[in-house]
Amino acid sequence: MMSSREYIARGLERYRELWIVFRSNKWALAGLIILSAIVFIAVFADYIAPYNPNARIAPPFQPPSREHLLGTDDVGHDILSQLIYGARISLFIGFLSAVIGTLIGLLIGLVSGYVGGIVDNILMRFTDIWLSLPTLLFTIFLVAIILRSSSYPIIYGIILAIALTSWPSVARLIRSSVLSIKERPYVEAVKALGAPGTRIMFKHILPNTTSILVAEVIYRTSYAMLTEASLSFLGLGDPTTISWGMMLYYAMARYAVVLGYWWWFIPPGLMISITVLSVMLIGLALEEYFNPRLRGKAL
Amino acid sequence: MDKRYIIQRIIFSVIAFFFIITLVFFLARATGDPLAELENDPRVSPETIKTIKALFGLDKPLYIQYLDFLRNMLLEGQFGYSIAYRRPVMDVIAERIWYTLALLIPAITLSNYLAYRLGIEIAWRRRSVVGSAIVSLSIIISSVPYFWLAILFLYIFSVQLNWTPIFGAVSPGVSFSWSPQWFLDYLWHYILPFSVLVFRSVFSYVLYVRNTTIDILGEDYVNVAVAMGLSPTRVKYDYVARNAMLPIITVLGLRYAFLIDGAILTETVFSYPGTGRLVFEAIYQRDFWLLQGATVILALSVIIVNLVIDLLYGLLDPRVKQR
Repeated sequence: MMSSREYIARGLERYRELWIVFRSNKWALAGLIILSAIVFIAVFADYIAPYNPNARIAPPFQPPSREHLLGTDDVGHDILSQLIYGARISLFIGFLSAVIGTLIGLLIGLVSGYVGGIVDNILMRFTDIWLSLPTLLFTIFLVAIILRSSSYPIIYGIILAIALTSWPSVARLIRSSVLSIKERPYVEAVKALGAPGTRIMFKHILPNTTSILVAEVIYRTSYAMLTEASLSFLGLGDPTTISWGMMLYYAMARYAVVLGYWWWFIPPGLMISITVLSVMLIGLALEEYFNPRLRGKAL
Repeated sequence: MDKRYIIQRIIFSVIAFFFIITLVFFLARATGDPLAELENDPRVSPETIKTIKALFGLDKPLYIQYLDFLRNMLLEGQFGYSIAYRRPVMDVIAERIWYTLALLIPAITLSNYLAYRLGIEIAWRRRSVVGSAIVSLSIIISSVPYFWLAILFLYIFSVQLNWTPIFGAVSPGVSFSWSPQWFLDYLWHYILPFSVLVFRSVFSYVLYVRNTTIDILGEDYVNVAVAMGLSPTRVKYDYVARNAMLPIITVLGLRYAFLIDGAILTETVFSYPGTGRLVFEAIYQRDFWLLQGATVILALSVIIVNLVIDLLYGLLDPRVKQR
């Protein structure tokens, strides 16, 4: 048995190694810094935003000025303040739906890989069909269904819908890794000792998939943020909160592009892109760290 | 090609289609009353609702409703009635789907060709400046939301430069005819949405081609070909590029599905009257049956494309051919 001190030391060692990855990879470091800045803005939005994002504080369609650095929208909201509050919803929905989606994928992948046989066959056919569908289209369909039938705030419907369409690739990854872990001698040994299947699955196989899970959650977060932005842009956002996608929805609906109000439609898209890019860069670095075979290939 | 392989693929496609429409039915029915909007409306009397329920068979048990649903869809091609258009859903979709297919099929062909050529080139010169610039660029472009890219294209080329129109598939008032004038007008509207799809698609794909090609470059047969003294061009095109085709064909179906998502967003930005824009209109008008119909039809097109790809794969890969 490892003593707890040893255990902590080993954990620290791992984090130190991870830090070395970030230090040596300037892209990943840039991603980490940008993401930290955006998280900071999201958390302290109340203190950073110059105005209440939902208050009509100025004449509409103002170009950028000293009072309103990014101008105002069609009803006189301060666009900079909306942009700052928008960070919250994007990160919240992105991360939460990525975690839930990854957990669903984990469960299906674990069962499929460990149990094998006909269960595996059925689950993987199901996964393949689900994987082959246009993701955004089915997310839209799911959100529409959830909206019809529930009285929950829309935001949870959106999270659930994104999670339900993002698990198949995770399930495939986890399954293939379980298949290889299952053959390792220590699993054979625990099995010979008579441990029940669920215990082997969750106690002995699951911990070995953590590295894939961490990288997947990060990856899924970037996709989920893009999906959330697309849903909001198509009018399936939560009307009680501001998101970057929704700002673009209103900008399009009020002809901001045709009228050339660039301060209204450029910043939200830029924020989505930068946030997604920073998350993606971190994901790439982590994947490279956990899977050295990829080293030097992605970037 | 082996007959068993063909039959197996066809059966799988049919199962996939049944699976999807069953899923759609149960998701739509099990989670909500199809008449919820009417029942919550105080202007509609309970008798009216009862009549409507009897009319549409909603008072029958669920499994009979399911069988009715299947029969209507498969035998009669009926997907329900669009509330927004006051016409059968199928008629609305049939009118609009051609615009989308005319965008998607050329877009997938051209973008795959470009990504394939570009991916092989940058894998071949993986340490060159251009190579790493394209890799970085493709990561950056993959993080840009599809619709925002479309908005930028619209702003730059239509609004600022005034090269292309800002909305529609043809100019207002122009109706379809087999004339060069119509075709030029159509092309003039077509070029920008098409470019957005191709541009985004090339960059989301080129990395995959590059990584696949790099794997192939490490294979023994490539080393042997080089050691035999074959010219680099021969190695590149006859040994590497040909073998890179198979893994690329396997993901074609996924890429088609990804392009459908792109078409929904792009058509919305350009007010292009295809099925993608129809999805947006269905959301906007809260027209659930229209959304359901569009979802099923687009999913069906994905299944058909996947079947074609599987069969093509069987023709191209001798290992599948012989099995």
